[in-house]
Amino acid sequence: MAASRLPPAALSLKQFLQRQKVLCLYRTLLRTIRLVPNEADRQYLTSWARDEFKRNSGAKEEDTIRMMVSQGNLHLQELQRTLQLAKS
Amino acid sequence: MKAQLRELNKDMSALAPLSPFALWDECSAQPAIMASRVLVQCVRSFTQPSARVIFENITARAAAVPVANQRHFSFNACSQRKALTSHTKVSSPLAQLCRQYGDLPPLTLDTIRERVLYVLKLYDKINPEKLTGASHFIKDLGLDSLDQVEIIMAMEDEFGFEIPDAEAEKLMTPQEIVQFIADKKDVYE
Repeated sequence: MAASRLPPAALSLKQFLQRQKVLCLYRTLLRTIRLVPNEADRQYLTSWARDEFKRNSGAKEEDTIRMMVSQGNLHLQELQRTLQLAKS
Repeated sequence: MKAQLRELNKDMSALAPLSPFALWDECSAQPAIMASRVLVQCVRSFTQPSARVIFENITARAAAVPVANQRHFSFNACSQRKALTSHTKVSSPLAQLCRQYGDLPPLTLDTIRERVLYVLKLYDKINPEKLTGASHFIKDLGLDSLDQVEIIMAMEDEFGFEIPDAEAEKLMTPQEIVQFIADKKDVYE
């Protein structure tokens, strides 16, 4: 069987998918923050999101990453619910 | 021309002190007819704007003078004024024909590239000296994927349309961003 042609730094499929999930979460979070009406709140939230993601960007274990992604999803849902309440 | 104007002024000032009823006579209406003829001549010959202002004053004063054949006179004055104004506003019928819409200025490749580079220069993590059209965000500029997401979001804000995830993660140089936006916005050159 031919040797794998992938470079050594390439991610495995699971890691690749996880990376995609993280980036997708970050993008959705930024898009939701854009909808916040108050300008000062928006800036606070974007800096908060940026710091959180940057701080945990060094994590390597799959389980840690998964836990953090689900936490991020909870935060995102809370933010979306608050926005919907504020809009109505 | 200025001599004619001075003459006209004299005529007008001569007419002014006369009472309105006196001017109903045929003979005293003669100077008014003469004045109207001079007016016609003046309109046809005058082209300078300063002269036009003086002329409009005169027509205003002349129109204020009641005359026997006032219909003739005022008609002349009106037609002169119309001729005058139509001479000044030649483009008004054309302006009425073309409708005006509100829209953003049209995009060209150069304007897109300028705006993309401007947004990138505003981003604090990018060194503006190192920034070129082909500089890779991750390899050349030392950013990471989170920064790339932020940059693409800033481009979305700048150009006002959403970039879907699948395509957003592939845009790694300013030139690719410019190309993508040009494709989306149908900008050909």
